[in-house]
Amino acid sequence: MKARAFIALIVFLAAVALPMAAFAQMTPEQMKAMLERVDDRQRNSGDYKALAYIEQREKNKNDVFFETVFYRRDNSEQFLILFLKPRTEAGKGYLRIEKNLWMYDPATGKWERRTERERIGGTNSRSQDFDPLYLARDFTHEYVGSEKLGNFDVHHLKLKAKPGAKASDPLIEMWIDKVTENTLKQQDFALSGRLMRTSYYPKWDKVFSEVKKAEVYYPKEIRIFDEVEKENRTTVLIDSIDLRPLEPNVFTKAWLEAKSR
Amino acid sequence: MGTVFVIALRNLAQGGRRTILLGLALALVTLLLVLLDALAAGLESSMLRSATTLSSGHVNVGGFFKVSSGQASPTVAEGARVRQIIEREVAGQDYVIDRLRGWARAVSETGSSWFALAGVDIREERGLKEVLQIVEGRLEDLGQPNTVMLFEAQAKRLESKIGDSITLSAPTMGGVNNTVDVRVVAIARDVGWMSAISLFMPKDTVRNLYQMRPEATGAVQIYLKDPERGAEVIEKLKPVLESEGFRLMESDPRPFWMKFETVAGQDWVNQKLDLTTWKEEVSFLLWILTGFNALRWSLLGVLLVVIVVGIMNAMFMSIRERTREIGTMRAIGMSRGAVQRMFLVEASSLGVIAALIGALCGVGTALLVNAAHIKIPNEAFQAILMNDVLLLALKPMNVVVAVLVITFVTCLAAFAPARRAARLRPIGALHQVG
Repeated sequence: MKARAFIALIVFLAAVALPMAAFAQMTPEQMKAMLERVDDRQRNSGDYKALAYIEQREKNKNDVFFETVFYRRDNSEQFLILFLKPRTEAGKGYLRIEKNLWMYDPATGKWERRTERERIGGTNSRSQDFDPLYLARDFTHEYVGSEKLGNFDVHHLKLKAKPGAKASDPLIEMWIDKVTENTLKQQDFALSGRLMRTSYYPKWDKVFSEVKKAEVYYPKEIRIFDEVEKENRTTVLIDSIDLRPLEPNVFTKAWLEAKSR
Repeated sequence: MGTVFVIALRNLAQGGRRTILLGLALALVTLLLVLLDALAAGLESSMLRSATTLSSGHVNVGGFFKVSSGQASPTVAEGARVRQIIEREVAGQDYVIDRLRGWARAVSETGSSWFALAGVDIREERGLKEVLQIVEGRLEDLGQPNTVMLFEAQAKRLESKIGDSITLSAPTMGGVNNTVDVRVVAIARDVGWMSAISLFMPKDTVRNLYQMRPEATGAVQIYLKDPERGAEVIEKLKPVLESEGFRLMESDPRPFWMKFETVAGQDWVNQKLDLTTWKEEVSFLLWILTGFNALRWSLLGVLLVVIVVGIMNAMFMSIRERTREIGTMRAIGMSRGAVQRMFLVEASSLGVIAALIGALCGVGTALLVNAAHIKIPNEAFQAILMNDVLLLALKPMNVVVAVLVITFVTCLAAFAPARRAARLRPIGALHQVG
């Protein structure tokens, strides 16, 4: 009798655990589909404008605070961020033209070519924090496992940038909420495998897009921790999302120069 | 002439306190001239030493490699071949090395900073071994993989000591972030301001960081027996490199790191070589030398004007006091020319003697200052003087020129009073009272 009960228990556990294991180990297709959803839900078919407040804390330095406004045209991967405050930085901006990121400094009136690795305003934030990476298109994917992140059940993924991708770090690990499919945590690794920074996304919100006819999701807050210089960290707050069409000439050098005058 | 000289010397001796004060002033100006010359020469010497030790050969064959038209890397992809050509073709070379170049953030346990990276093979770095003074560790340990040498100021800034680990972080040529952990194996005395930004490490460490091929380098640095031949060597090397199939950049007398923006904006890809002299690689610092020289000559100009006025005043007073004497000499047959010569010889004798004394004091002071190894306490002054120790480089020719200049100026200042003395009428001079 005891043996029968034991066998029955084994059969029961196998019946429950095997499908769970199968779910835990997502197939490449499932992963790609999920990442396509993650990519799509953060993008608008039309234009995108938002305010971003960036706070940088560094060891032995005064805290730095920037108020910025950024613009995106997701279909053509155009991006622009303009500094509004403090007064000393007002008018400064970054503009992506094709694959190049250009920085404009109104103090000198000069444009300088930068890369996607550029630390926006010298903080730990990069353009990818305002203009998300294309995870499904630009990375190869590996499923690490199903995990718990605090109270959340998450998918833990490892992503490797494909050649030519605009990612600044070639390796990324992501923790994606199983229920909402919001990214909750991201770690960026250098080519050597060294952890460069960890980002947490504690708050997400959404706005309805008339153009897309669907919700567009955005992280209201991003907390970025520098893992090389351990005591440096950056907080980004995103607010006042506006999905109405922008002027056609926003993503031009002339427009940014005019704004800074 | 001998009589005139004797009379001139006797008059100088009779001048007493006035002669001593005037001579002292002339000696002080000469001393200042010698010391400022030595300081300028020391500045130039420090600049040459810093530049040719830390960032440049007497001639450099560097260049840029562009994967795309907008992305420039300070790399010579066929570094080994370029070096072979140089070793074969350049006459008058002392030795040739090649170094990798980079720009990376170095992060220690307590701090971080941006540095210019120099990937070296320490076995062939003759100049580096001669110039650097290692205060801790061993320079030869730079032969081990993933090691680094810091300068004292860097070690202080990063709060690092021998054996500590430092992370270097930079983007690869492919455009993604990469890191390398390096171990501090040596700490050297600072070599002026430029040592604050230069980090030395093995070539392979830089190659790993940037994911470069083994034959690639940053620049081939040529050290010549005569550093002044740099421009000539470049002119001879250009057609040779072109005949070997290399494209050359237009001549641009700026250091390589100031050319990134220009090169990235140009519409070409792959490799172009750039030939520069050490002066071009430190051209951004030459304003210090120019500014210092301008200040030096302004100061000396003012002092010389004061001296000229002083000499003229003293001579006029002397003529006034010796009017009767001049009249007597003219009455017993001394010509106007002889009177004029007498005063000129008097002034030039004073000038020569005072300038010689001043020059000797200047040389002595410079030797004492150099022997004392006076440390410059302020970092701003270290930056301006390109050295952490006060260096006065004496050049014999400069000392001789200083003596001649002071003597000439003294003579020139005495010309008008001497002419006036010569024009005195004997009868009028003899009737002069007082």
